[in-house]
Amino acid sequence: MANNDIALMTHLLRRAGFGASRAEVESRAAQGYESTVEELLNPNDHPGIEEDLLFRYQPAYNEPAAIETNVQQWMYYMINNPRQLQEKVALFWHMIFCAGHSKIDSGQEMGLMIKMFRENGMGNFRDLLMLLSTSPGMIYYLDNSESHKTAVNENYGRELLELFSMGVGKDEEFNYSEDDVKACARAFTGWNIAPSYPPFPYGRSAWEFRFDPADHDESDKTFLGQTGNWNGEDILDMVCGQPATARFVARHLYNYFVADEVPVPSWRQTPPKDPELIEALEAAYFESNYDITAMLRVLFNSESFKNARYTKVKNPAEMVVSTLRLVGDHQDIKPGLFEISQEPKYMGMDLMNPPTVEGWHTGHEWIDSGTLVERINFASDYLGQTNLPGVKGIVDRLMSEGETISPKQFVDGCLDLVGQLQVTDETYGELVSHAEREGDLTHKSDTEQQDFVRRSGEMLQMIAATSEYQFG
Amino acid sequence: MSTHLFGLTDRTFSYSHSVGRNEFAGTGFRNPVDMALGADDIVYVINRAYENRPDGVRVTVCTLNEEYVTEFGSYGEGDGQFIWPSSIALDKDENIYISDEWLNRITVFDSNGEFVSKWGEQGSAQGQLDGPAGLAISGSSIYVSDSRNNRVQKFSLDGQFESSFGESGDGSGQFNMPWGIGLDSSGNIYVTDWRNDRIQQFDQSGKWQATFGTPGTAVGQFNRPNSVSVDKDGDIYVSDWLNDRIQVLAPDGRFITQLTGDHMLSQWGKDKMISNPDMIRQRQLAITHSSDFDKNFSHPTAVKVNTDGQVVVLDSTRGRLQIYTKNTEPVLI
Repeated sequence: MANNDIALMTHLLRRAGFGASRAEVESRAAQGYESTVEELLNPNDHPGIEEDLLFRYQPAYNEPAAIETNVQQWMYYMINNPRQLQEKVALFWHMIFCAGHSKIDSGQEMGLMIKMFRENGMGNFRDLLMLLSTSPGMIYYLDNSESHKTAVNENYGRELLELFSMGVGKDEEFNYSEDDVKACARAFTGWNIAPSYPPFPYGRSAWEFRFDPADHDESDKTFLGQTGNWNGEDILDMVCGQPATARFVARHLYNYFVADEVPVPSWRQTPPKDPELIEALEAAYFESNYDITAMLRVLFNSESFKNARYTKVKNPAEMVVSTLRLVGDHQDIKPGLFEISQEPKYMGMDLMNPPTVEGWHTGHEWIDSGTLVERINFASDYLGQTNLPGVKGIVDRLMSEGETISPKQFVDGCLDLVGQLQVTDETYGELVSHAEREGDLTHKSDTEQQDFVRRSGEMLQMIAATSEYQFG
Repeated sequence: MSTHLFGLTDRTFSYSHSVGRNEFAGTGFRNPVDMALGADDIVYVINRAYENRPDGVRVTVCTLNEEYVTEFGSYGEGDGQFIWPSSIALDKDENIYISDEWLNRITVFDSNGEFVSKWGEQGSAQGQLDGPAGLAISGSSIYVSDSRNNRVQKFSLDGQFESSFGESGDGSGQFNMPWGIGLDSSGNIYVTDWRNDRIQQFDQSGKWQATFGTPGTAVGQFNRPNSVSVDKDGDIYVSDWLNDRIQVLAPDGRFITQLTGDHMLSQWGKDKMISNPDMIRQRQLAITHSSDFDKNFSHPTAVKVNTDGQVVVLDSTRGRLQIYTKNTEPVLI
């Protein structure tokens, strides 16, 4: 199989999922790129997580209550869901439609919101905004539960326009006015939450959306130049038909899946990095009547995407999950997921608890002196565990290269098997230089095999500590 | 005026009361997975809790009248500790046997909860265990559903292998991850064949006798049944885990009725709420909106019956027991 097919498939599975074993990459490469893209885009055609087994061994994951349990459960899904793109998309929307446990104070609601993103995040954008607008967690997080006909709270109305759909502006123009924000907020009055059971003594009930017509502003509102007795659904219809919304969704998809863009607040003044692809994504948005899967199809099949390898800094969830998938740990249900679930937090990404409604600062801002140490320690710790099945598979594969392999072959093999990692000449030289200290690698005798395994673990740890491993 | 009674009509059940609340320690349970009924209305409940709250992994001892007695056991791999406790059974002296499906062992405690011994090792050979799930004691022997080996093994109470039956599959006498085990007064063995969504009955020698149920949500169908008990009349009680109900079957497997939950606030529940007026108000508003959440079972993990005709349901996610009485006379409700 051609190396560029493997490299391209590795790239696709790293971006449209959290990476894959070499065996899966080769199998997918044999299947073909476009066919694999279609499979990823149609997750419901394939089995998902075996929840009965998960709930049997981890009963707390069934209707999970505590925030820690919800994060653990999501971590398990990210590592193990065969429908990898669903999990990647759930993380995508969590990073845009930000709501956090620090205010909501219900792990269950955060878990339900992620489930909603998982199940609907690849569907129709208008439907998704409707689910978001009726999500009790979001209603509470952005104070719509405190927005009344007689005392409007503009928080949700404002963020819906600014952060969830249209964005402040595009092509140096503003997309909406302060009056539009006020009208939007008035249209969502009465969108509230039904009474729910308290945490004691038997656990919370899931919060439910409830519309209170007596608290809804029925008067005329002028929104984006149109006047009528608009309610929230009318607003969503109008918002979704805006070119600004197509641009906003397209740029977010590009920023997450293709290459780091400038920060969102700069989007009004700064044109897209790749206007041609953005235009194609916008066209797909309208042609498909706002279907996210249609946009993703255009994105994954674009040359821009195919050529954008190792150009994005992995976010902490990607760093943790992709490393675990590479080394093959936590692919069975077993104790220890709580510690794993805390790792992204140590690297600056407290899942289900973003810092603000604007979310995390991404790209190179993931890296500082503290988080870099966490990232390197985590990855090198796992890649150095030669008893883990994924690492063992890498070692076996290296041994299969021949009875004796040179230090250079050894480094090439390790870089190839951690995901066709591309490193600078300087990094490559340092890795080869290290390998050369102990000369060629052989594995005829038990002692030679032990040395081979030890040196493989060390080399993989060194690779995990390179700056290149920080990119995906 | 005529009375129309269709089919089996002489067994009815009345909700009696509830015991417990969600707690990581003391007067309550947290993700309980099994229980055993002892003398003097004592009930032993094993709590799986959360991974990030290992303090909740323990055995709670209380009575069916909601008197707290004690608790024992803790999270860990040492003697008397558990990682994934899964089932509990009592011998005639009320020694306590608890399986651990992660550590692949059975731990024995005396009736005071003091560690006595442990036995079992991981493997698939005769006498080895891989995911011991359900337990049932008959005289001086203990049956263990060896779930990932798809068989039931019989041991002496000190762990000496005696016999086994079952293999992987979906035919008669075959299993797909068996879980709960129940015994009737004749010594017949009932096994919840968890991933085959059915109950299988065997005689004392392990010879297959009957199969009850198919996958589904209709009466007589199951969605991952996990516990089975048989009362003195031979009626069979099955916790139909992912259907959130208990099904009651006649000795020949015909459907009699189902219980879906009728909870009323337990005393421990009241104790928790009484000093918190905000939560009392919230609860009242919630009940007005919908009472189902409060009343219904949520993932029941065990059902046991005692000689007094009480049917005890371990209502896992809600952290409580719901107790029913099997009526001997018609009850006007």
